[in-house]
Amino acid sequence: MNYIFIGIGIVLIFWIASTYNFFVSAKTRIKAAVQEIGNQLKRQADLIPNLESSAKGYLKHEKGIFADLTNARKAIDSAVKSGDVQKMANAGSKFAQVLPKLQVIVESNPEMKGASVVTKLMDELRDTTDKVMYARRLVIDLTADFNVKRVRIPSNIIASLFKFEELPGLITPEKGEHVSVSSEDVKTPKVKL
Amino acid sequence: MINIYEAIDANKRKSVIIVIAFILFVTIATYVFAQAFGAYSGYGPGGLGYVGVAFIISGLMSIGSYYFSDKIVLAISNAKPADRKKDFLFYTVVENLSIASGLPKPRAYIIDDTAPNAFATGRDPDHAVICATRGLLDKLNRSELEGVIAHELSHIKHYDIRLAGIVTVLVGLIALLGDWFLRVSWMGKRGSNRKGSQLDAIFLILGLLFAIMAPIIAKLIQLAISRRREFMADAGAINLTRQPQGLISALKKISKDSEPLEVANKATAHFYIVNPFKNKTRGAVGRFSGLFNTHPPVTERINVLNKML
Repeated sequence: MNYIFIGIGIVLIFWIASTYNFFVSAKTRIKAAVQEIGNQLKRQADLIPNLESSAKGYLKHEKGIFADLTNARKAIDSAVKSGDVQKMANAGSKFAQVLPKLQVIVESNPEMKGASVVTKLMDELRDTTDKVMYARRLVIDLTADFNVKRVRIPSNIIASLFKFEELPGLITPEKGEHVSVSSEDVKTPKVKL
Repeated sequence: MINIYEAIDANKRKSVIIVIAFILFVTIATYVFAQAFGAYSGYGPGGLGYVGVAFIISGLMSIGSYYFSDKIVLAISNAKPADRKKDFLFYTVVENLSIASGLPKPRAYIIDDTAPNAFATGRDPDHAVICATRGLLDKLNRSELEGVIAHELSHIKHYDIRLAGIVTVLVGLIALLGDWFLRVSWMGKRGSNRKGSQLDAIFLILGLLFAIMAPIIAKLIQLAISRRREFMADAGAINLTRQPQGLISALKKISKDSEPLEVANKATAHFYIVNPFKNKTRGAVGRFSGLFNTHPPVTERINVLNKML
């Protein structure tokens, strides 16, 4: 009879330890994932001047786009320096806004489409925005895992025992335009060719 | 409409059930063989015995292919490492999705073959390799390629190559035991140290039955595991990209192409994103031959993915 209790006790201790370890390591991983966002943004900021100089010849008459790129880079630089997750996330989105503009320019100038320098520029821009997006997704996924485990039975016992707080992940405002659907959004988009 | 998280959970549950069924079956089969060998030779089962020896042999046969799987498969398929400049799309997609999955970036390789296909191998995420054919890279656009690569990354994340390795060892064990039992019972000359009891007779008959049936059943369960893991990797891929449409259209494009992959063989078939042999049979025969496939039919996979849209 005693052996059974000892056995149950050992299993219990192992379970508590492994659940505790999950929470602690998840927290560390989330921290690392946030740093990864900063890392990718830094890469983005370093990349822009190179891309600018290589494509400048082809985009001479489109000065505006370079001003946008420079602004985005400055925003990213200062956000990475401040180390604030939220600022970093916002700075990245500024850069993402430049991409469609560039796309329009390239589409409207057929001779530009052929230039490999410009396609290369487009590829690199898409790639770097993707990298930031995926780095953010990792933070979102990891925090979701952490928060789900925190409230689910039976691991919620351990979470409340060691007082693991709910993690915010990437903060998105819960009110505002992006959570409501306007009548404009419902309409099927029309494409003019 | 299934929630992606529910889909992943359901896949995990089903996968665990099949694996448990497999382990149970292997345990029962080895037990029967052990008893039957004992009844046959007249010694009680004990010590290392036939089962132990068979396990060691089967393990040794598979350990090399497991441990060096990345190097062997790459050498057989004649794959070359991808270059960031020349294969920008492929290289960066692998890089980006490994950021999203939180895995170390796997090495990216390319096979010079026009048949579109891709596979992942390597015993753990640190030794992982993702390999795509030239045909695949030429035919797919970025979001389709992301679907395919995310599927392969999920295989790596789920340790599917390790699972496949363990399962192969156990299937080999059953095959060896069945083979030995048939040989021993044909060679005749029974040991007569022990008086044959009724139980011995039962185990002898059971042993014969298992010697014929068990290797086939074990193989069938192995294939069922492989198919289940494919569904799991599909769901995992959508969790990474959140774009079922990409993987769906990639699967359609790949399955439409009827060219078989020349460098693939039976041993490497289960690695690929779709069955590289492209055998097409329909109806009842198709369903039966489906039992022997490493991959679920593409139409079924697309149906499941459509539910996640």
